[in-house]
Amino acid sequence: MILRKAFFLILILLFFVIPLTALLLQSLSAPWRFHTGQGIDWGWQGYSTLFENPQLWEATFISIWIGFAVLFINVTLGLFTGKALASYPYRGKAWLEALLLSPILIPSLAIAMGLHLFMIRIGLADTFWGVLLIHLVPTVPYSIKIFHNSYQQIGKTMMEQPHILGAGFWTQVFTVELPLLKPAIRSLTFLTIVISLSQYAITALIGGGRVLTLPLVFFPFLENANTSIMAAFSIWFALIPVFMYIIIESLMMFLPYSRLPWRNHR
Amino acid sequence: MKKFIPFFLLATLFLTACSETSTNNKDWTEASWEEIEAAAEGTEVRLYMWGGDEGINAYIDDYVTPQLEDQYGVSLKRVPLDTPEILQKLQTEKQANKQDGSVDVIWINGENFKNAKENELLIGSFTEVLPNFNDYYNTEDPAFQTDFGTKVEGMEAPWGKVQFVFHYDSEKIVNPPATFEELQTWVSQNPGKFTYPRAEEFTGNAFLRHVLYSQAEKPSDIYEQPLEENDITPTAERTWSYLNEMENDLWRSGEHYPNSLTELDRLYSQGEVWMTMGYNESRAESLIEEGVFPESTRSFVMEPGSIGNTHFLSIPFNSPNQPGALAAINFMLSPEAQLEKYKPDDWGENTPISFDQLPEDIKEEFESVERGESVLSTEELEESFLPESEAAYVDWMKEQWFNEVVQK
Amino acid sequence: MKLFKNRTFLLFLPVAIFLMIPFYGFIHAVIQSLGGEGLAHYEEILSSERFLSSVWFSVRTAGIATLVSIILGLGFTKFFHPLLTNISPRLMVWIPMLFPHFVWGYMVILMLSETGWLPQILAAAGWLETPSNFPVWTRDPEGIGIIITYVWKEVPLVILLLFPVYASIRPEYYALVDSLGGNAWHRFTTVDLPHLLPVLVETFLIIFSFTLAAYEVPALIGTTFPEMISVLGYEWFYGSSWDDRPLAFAAMVMTSLFLLGLTLMSYYGLSRPRWRAMRGDRQ
Repeated sequence: MILRKAFFLILILLFFVIPLTALLLQSLSAPWRFHTGQGIDWGWQGYSTLFENPQLWEATFISIWIGFAVLFINVTLGLFTGKALASYPYRGKAWLEALLLSPILIPSLAIAMGLHLFMIRIGLADTFWGVLLIHLVPTVPYSIKIFHNSYQQIGKTMMEQPHILGAGFWTQVFTVELPLLKPAIRSLTFLTIVISLSQYAITALIGGGRVLTLPLVFFPFLENANTSIMAAFSIWFALIPVFMYIIIESLMMFLPYSRLPWRNHR
Repeated sequence: MKKFIPFFLLATLFLTACSETSTNNKDWTEASWEEIEAAAEGTEVRLYMWGGDEGINAYIDDYVTPQLEDQYGVSLKRVPLDTPEILQKLQTEKQANKQDGSVDVIWINGENFKNAKENELLIGSFTEVLPNFNDYYNTEDPAFQTDFGTKVEGMEAPWGKVQFVFHYDSEKIVNPPATFEELQTWVSQNPGKFTYPRAEEFTGNAFLRHVLYSQAEKPSDIYEQPLEENDITPTAERTWSYLNEMENDLWRSGEHYPNSLTELDRLYSQGEVWMTMGYNESRAESLIEEGVFPESTRSFVMEPGSIGNTHFLSIPFNSPNQPGALAAINFMLSPEAQLEKYKPDDWGENTPISFDQLPEDIKEEFESVERGESVLSTEELEESFLPESEAAYVDWMKEQWFNEVVQK
Repeated sequence: MKLFKNRTFLLFLPVAIFLMIPFYGFIHAVIQSLGGEGLAHYEEILSSERFLSSVWFSVRTAGIATLVSIILGLGFTKFFHPLLTNISPRLMVWIPMLFPHFVWGYMVILMLSETGWLPQILAAAGWLETPSNFPVWTRDPEGIGIIITYVWKEVPLVILLLFPVYASIRPEYYALVDSLGGNAWHRFTTVDLPHLLPVLVETFLIIFSFTLAAYEVPALIGTTFPEMISVLGYEWFYGSSWDDRPLAFAAMVMTSLFLLGLTLMSYYGLSRPRWRAMRGDRQ
């Protein structure tokens, strides 16, 4: 067990922690050129250039709002659909599951391009709501998947019990299901927010530059040879899901039975 | 189907609500300048432009935006989006007949301008109403009359001009090549130390067009002839053999060409290759300052010359604030804005303005600007200047290069 | 139970409304790909050598990336899942998930390209003569860079999806196999696999379809030739010649149909009674 733990730590350090640390160090120093014999030249230049960009804060706030809205709708949709799927009889279920997965099978750029005209006509293009809707496409199938699996883990008996005891639908959701679904909500928080933060092409198309999210500011910078700025920007990108995760985690404290947050899913 | 009914109702509601077209149909390109300025005051102008260079961004954010606010009461909002994407958006909006768009000013030239003009995505001829354009620019300059072979017809206003140069590290190379032949020799003597971005990439394509120019009898055989009427087969043959002969001695033996100029810049920055290039004669300055390029970086141009072009500002057909857009463009063309742009601190880009038409004091200020050691002298640049060819050559090059060089 | 069934129907209502968004977009994309000229655009791309070679390259690269991610993720979860019950190791595993794909791709370039950190460090330490002696792992014709980026980024996702299943396997099952004289392989095939198979298949589909169709990473870290299908489609769409646009739509529609077909087949296979029985008594 100790050997296993050591091995685990080595893997984690090598593949996950060290790259992150290197990125952090690069963001705090001028571009590295070790082979020329130069040492590390520390400085805040990467971050100061980043924060000088007046669009950074606007884009950050909009990204966070869209992230929360996308997450909220995802949890709602995922909860309903996951629950429905878990209690769905077998006949035709294969088709149904394939159908529910299909939005991530179709390239999202194709969907967005097809939708753009319609969105303009109904006045959703160039708006927060339009971007929100299009961000649901690559996220909702994941949520359904995760919630469906979680409901299966919870098991039918656990779901029938409150019903028999006379709990109403919403009582059951809040007192039994949501506390049991916490691990799923946690995974979802990361997944949906990062996916939403990754959408450059479809946000540019549907948001039309009116809805300025972080990737819109970041993407042009990929053509930038200054690695410090890029490293600082990358770190900034990762801080957002962490920040939002903390908020979601603290919100979940208000759910019933929160004393053992990650052990009671069995 | 019952469950879909509410959604359809909602959608129809939206449709009817939005089908009322805007009543603001005044043709501002015919209005008097006073009227335009008055209408522009207190409005917001949305400038859509490529946003990948901090120098350029800083010029807009720290200089143009506050000045516009002061002088015209116009608040400028910069939106970072690539031009092909903006045009795609405009085209869909045109299809949907959306008269009230969100883009007021776009930064455009070359094939993008051609597409925009052909698809009627611009408001039309407007440069005549701009006081600064008429006062300080040589409106008859052929560089403003055609843009990569497309007739401009007043649909875009010249904002800047750039010229293609190569960069090298003067500590590693004493005498940079002076002709394309010498470049070939240099490459074979220094295998792995030179490469160019792929043809899909803007800079790479420009490099390849230079090779095409150099393999023609004379460069004007290319830039004065539209592609369709031109028999360039022999020139093309020579171009491909030039490139193929060079390929084995390129960086990574030509198995991979950099996807972007950034990639090439990074290779140069790390000393992996010894030359880089770019479609802006002064771009090395800010990169040296940031410590990305070595301080000993200098630039050079080769015979038969270096291609230069003008880039422009234009207004889309459905700009919601045309007077504001006109006011903003007029300001960006003004001598003081051009002077600021010319200084190497932020952007350091050359100006299309006509020095002869400037008042003496501003002219002197222009002449006293120190552009930096990595920038070639104005005389040298002007001497080697070659105009752009028709936009069709860009596409032709993309396709042919892939078949003739990469796949062989 | 009648009431329960009705409610099930109601629960599907929101997702049915949601699905109209992608389907409307997809149908519109199909219309654009036809462009009023029947299947001409499809014929054109199917006879284009550039397209066909990019199809092969894409399927191969995405397939390798997906399989490697799943194998590594499965091994990691199987071996380490007891350690993952604690929150802090789990958070560390999720580090790559914090970054969008294109950011992680950029990171791979920073680290592993010829001018990257690793070659620089190896050269500074004297293990490499010059950084350029480092093998070409990014922007290489074999797609290694693309595969590395995806594997690195997707292994945590595989762990995320598999971990709850592993956590839910009761140790009694293993005890049963042991008492019947089974070895580790038996344990894996008779206990783990039946539990995991549906999730594994789904995971494969999710990752495969993403890596096949996503644009950003191959654009950043791929090479001139061969190119991924998404890069080609993007070039057709945003390229300077607007006549190529229907080709882009046709390429994307074909990719979608291929993935939809694959998904349907997999689910159909999974729903066969044999797997239902193995999936256990939860239903």
